[in-house]
Amino acid sequence: MNILALIMGLLAAGVVAAFSERIHQHAPRWVSLIAFVVALIYTSSAWLGAGSGTEEYARQVLPWIPRFGIQVYLVLDGLSLMLVALTAFVGIVAVVSSWSEISERHGFFQFNILWVMAGVVGVFSAFDLFLFFFFWEVMLIPMYFLIAIWGHENRAYAATKFFLFTQISGLLMLFAILSLVYFNYQATGVITFDYFELRNASLDPDVAWWLMLGFFVAFITKLPSVPVHTWLPDAHTQAPTAGSVILAGILLKTGGYGVIRFAVGLFPEASQDFATVGMLLGALSIVYGGYMAYSQSDFKRLVAYSSVAHMGFILLGVYAFNEIAMQGAVVTMIAHGFSTAALFMMAGALQQRLHSREMSKMGGLWVRAPRMGAMTLFFVVASVGMPGLGNFVGEFLALLGAFQAHVPLTIAATIGIVVAAVYGLSLMQRAFQGVPNPDVGEIEDFGAREMTVMILMMIGLVWLGVYPQLVLDLSAPVITSLGVAGL
Amino acid sequence: MDALWLIPTFPLLGFLVLFLSQGKLPKVVIAIVGAGSIGFAAVVAVVVGKAFMDGGAEPHSQQLWTWMRVGEFVPEIRLYLDGLALVMTGVITGVGFLIHVYATGYMWDDPEEPEGFSRFFAYMNLFVFAMLMLVLGDNLLVLFLGWEGVGLCSYLLIGFYHRDPNNGYAARKAFVVTRVGDTFMALGLFLLFRELGTTEIQASLAAANIAWPEGSTMATVIGLLFLGGAMGKSAQVPLQTWLPDAMAGPTPVSALIHAATMVTAGVYLIARMHDIYLISPEAQFWVAVTGLVTLFISSFTALVQTDIKRVLAFSTMSQIGYMFMALGVGAWSAAVFHLMTHAFFKALLFLASGSVILALHHEQDMFKMGGLWRKLPIPFVSMLVGSIALAALPLTSGFFSKDAIMLTAADNPAAGMVFWGGAAIAAFMTALYTTRMILLTFFGEAKTAAHDSSGWNMNAPLIILCGLALGGGWFGLGIVSGVLPDGGITTHDHFSPIALVTMAMPLLGILTGWFVFGSARGGSTQLPGTEFAENVRRFWYSGWGFDWLYDRAVVAPFVALARMNKNDFVDLAFKSTASIARGMHHVLAVVQNGRLRWYAWNMVLGLAFVVVVVMWEVLD
Repeated sequence: MNILALIMGLLAAGVVAAFSERIHQHAPRWVSLIAFVVALIYTSSAWLGAGSGTEEYARQVLPWIPRFGIQVYLVLDGLSLMLVALTAFVGIVAVVSSWSEISERHGFFQFNILWVMAGVVGVFSAFDLFLFFFFWEVMLIPMYFLIAIWGHENRAYAATKFFLFTQISGLLMLFAILSLVYFNYQATGVITFDYFELRNASLDPDVAWWLMLGFFVAFITKLPSVPVHTWLPDAHTQAPTAGSVILAGILLKTGGYGVIRFAVGLFPEASQDFATVGMLLGALSIVYGGYMAYSQSDFKRLVAYSSVAHMGFILLGVYAFNEIAMQGAVVTMIAHGFSTAALFMMAGALQQRLHSREMSKMGGLWVRAPRMGAMTLFFVVASVGMPGLGNFVGEFLALLGAFQAHVPLTIAATIGIVVAAVYGLSLMQRAFQGVPNPDVGEIEDFGAREMTVMILMMIGLVWLGVYPQLVLDLSAPVITSLGVAGL
Repeated sequence: MDALWLIPTFPLLGFLVLFLSQGKLPKVVIAIVGAGSIGFAAVVAVVVGKAFMDGGAEPHSQQLWTWMRVGEFVPEIRLYLDGLALVMTGVITGVGFLIHVYATGYMWDDPEEPEGFSRFFAYMNLFVFAMLMLVLGDNLLVLFLGWEGVGLCSYLLIGFYHRDPNNGYAARKAFVVTRVGDTFMALGLFLLFRELGTTEIQASLAAANIAWPEGSTMATVIGLLFLGGAMGKSAQVPLQTWLPDAMAGPTPVSALIHAATMVTAGVYLIARMHDIYLISPEAQFWVAVTGLVTLFISSFTALVQTDIKRVLAFSTMSQIGYMFMALGVGAWSAAVFHLMTHAFFKALLFLASGSVILALHHEQDMFKMGGLWRKLPIPFVSMLVGSIALAALPLTSGFFSKDAIMLTAADNPAAGMVFWGGAAIAAFMTALYTTRMILLTFFGEAKTAAHDSSGWNMNAPLIILCGLALGGGWFGLGIVSGVLPDGGITTHDHFSPIALVTMAMPLLGILTGWFVFGSARGGSTQLPGTEFAENVRRFWYSGWGFDWLYDRAVVAPFVALARMNKNDFVDLAFKSTASIARGMHHVLAVVQNGRLRWYAWNMVLGLAFVVVVVMWEVLD
């Protein structure tokens, strides 16, 4: 599989989408949709085409700036592959969810979506640290535009906040990358940004600890974890539906991916020293995020805070430093991609119909739109952690593994599942149950287009929930290569 | 035996058909699919059960697939059938089928939710599927799947009439309170896996017996954590408060989920994991105490309720308390036996009360009933039969099981007389509140006109359950022999003084009831009217103040804090950074005002300052 072609294809599709608006107002969304479908098929075929036991699905190395040892170094191992596939899928969901939401600048809108996703694919496949940082920035700018141009009433504030948080934490990471390269240069006399070379860099433990921290802060800001999570509710609430779907579905996962691949992958010892802090932040995010979700009256804000809680399981799982917990973190990433993308799609659909996100203006919607009600119920139940659905597998494995590492923190995190029940069911109650709000007239229920995407995500969650082995097998070699012990 | 997997599959298929058809099927088809799927499951259960018995009651397991494989954590989706699982399966599919048939009549013309016929049966079928996975799973993780699944269906069905926010509240309360218990259970699971390296039930019990000596702390901790889970699901003190509110669901739901099956899941769990409690007598003792406290408290609460379904709800809590006490004192078989007989007579009571409620157009207040025995003969007889079984009159099914429990409790070396005494008082109270319920509902003057519109599909299940409630005792304790440690036998003399007193308690209760409530037929809402008695009544009525306490100690602070912190205090740190930056901007903007004179003055002042500082240094 040619990864560079995939990234370039998405970038090119963005340009085509931008210009296709001149042909027809609705041409761009079709360009976008086709691009993501092709990307999904292309990625899946690489997966299906590879025999079992494959550890690497694609690898491309091209020189870029030889003077500084910078290469276009792209690799797809199991972890990268599944996240790239998820990216393409979330792309489809994003396009469909904003099918009729956008009323201006259709071309530029789709351009931004495609460029964000191209950046995300790059982030998941870059094994040159400079290239990685390059893609990290590529996905930031279009996202900023998506919020700032097509966002809701308070979009400028939210977009700026999003930009500043990501940019400042990214700066820390850039600093850590350059220092790492410099220290490696001092030791070996070679300037290189090659991930595999730098993994073997011999570093003073103190230096390693500080560099690890630089990466860690950048990634947990993106994830996000308490206490650097406060950009997320604003960004989510103000973003257009497609923006929220992309943010929750895939952009947050770049943080989780980064923690696994770089913070832990490059600095295993330093990360292990740091494990308790990592788990503590995870447990805090689970409980505090869940509690904040309950406090909200805005549908989207509630779901946004619930993401903070779910992402806590990733930190908890990764920093438990055992195979079970880390697999839990990985499955959580995929499952959350489906369940939260669906809930944001729902939030967008509701806002489009009611012109409000306030749950006090909803109520009793089940009667008006039973299909939307049933779908919301399903995804709320999934995100509450019902066994048989994907989120449960992820969260259960994360907790089971974490328990072997740190009992008190795991107990705290387990309380989070009660809180999840509280906010999940209160969302269901406030929006869809109770007396139908008399101010809300007839609303249009989900049609075939929306239902198709919803059902695809349902199938994904059930499949992950009853037989997650395919995902587990994909990530197992990666986790082994990180040197994480089995139990 | 190989058909074992079909038992949970039929209800699952039923659910899928009803769910995917989105309520577009004709009502008759929905009824056939909804009840038929459980019927098929029951038939398969009978066939499998017969093969099981013919094969000498040897445990049988059937591997379906490996759920996941992560390092050494390899939970299998495997079904396991032994005597205990068979009893549970029989109750779930058998009683479940009768209740589904009844529900086809009860829900047919539902005024509150006319569109919900299909949704109702979809949830009910999903529930039966989950409950079967709970009792058939050979892995604690599969059990947990069923455990959470039944909790979800319970939530969905309590909140079935979703237009009324109170029902939604009751549903959420049920889910959240039981989830508190589930948290304990999950922690027990984590600990068990850490210590024994597996979550398979049979394998872990075998490993526990080797790894832990008697009195082991680990066994105690795990035993207590599982007890916590069981408390939530089985509505035992202190996690019992959700069950009375759960009566907001349609009555067949109360019969199936909140009487016959789901609420007994905790009993099943402890019976299933009994090796742990044999290793830790301390944990087992607390099981008994939990049961005793619950059966005692709730039998008093039931006495003063006015809503017929709430009487039955508290009665259910109380009877499950008996089961817990039985487990705690080592009357393992009697506990499971009582679970079964209770499923018969309590399902009967609920369904009969459902017929009454339906005939009175959804009136549930007993003080608005009365004089119904002539108009509703079948519900009346059913209620009567269920009541004498509940009160445990000799030769009814409830008698055999409750008798075995109380006599074993009396033998308990730790606190035999306390256990027996508490249970005996509660047995008296049971007969008393049952008598009150019958008298208020069916005798005295009629206060509401009744329209009996129930067809054969509602009456046939009642008649069959009547037979089971009366004759179910003849199944005997032997049904679970070979699974539970007491081998299904009790060795008690049925004519010892204690046994005679045990037997006399219900009779005494009925006589007292006749005397107190019979004379005031259709009469007062309270016990003899002093102020003290009224306060006692109010205290009992409220379920001994647990809701009051939890509302103030947990719910109110939780909600208040959430309101206060809606805007996330963490964000203040970042917002203040922004406002400091903005403040500095304003300060500096004032300085840069473009006036030459101002700049000159500042330059002079600055120079003077520098000069002074330098002079100071020099002079120093």
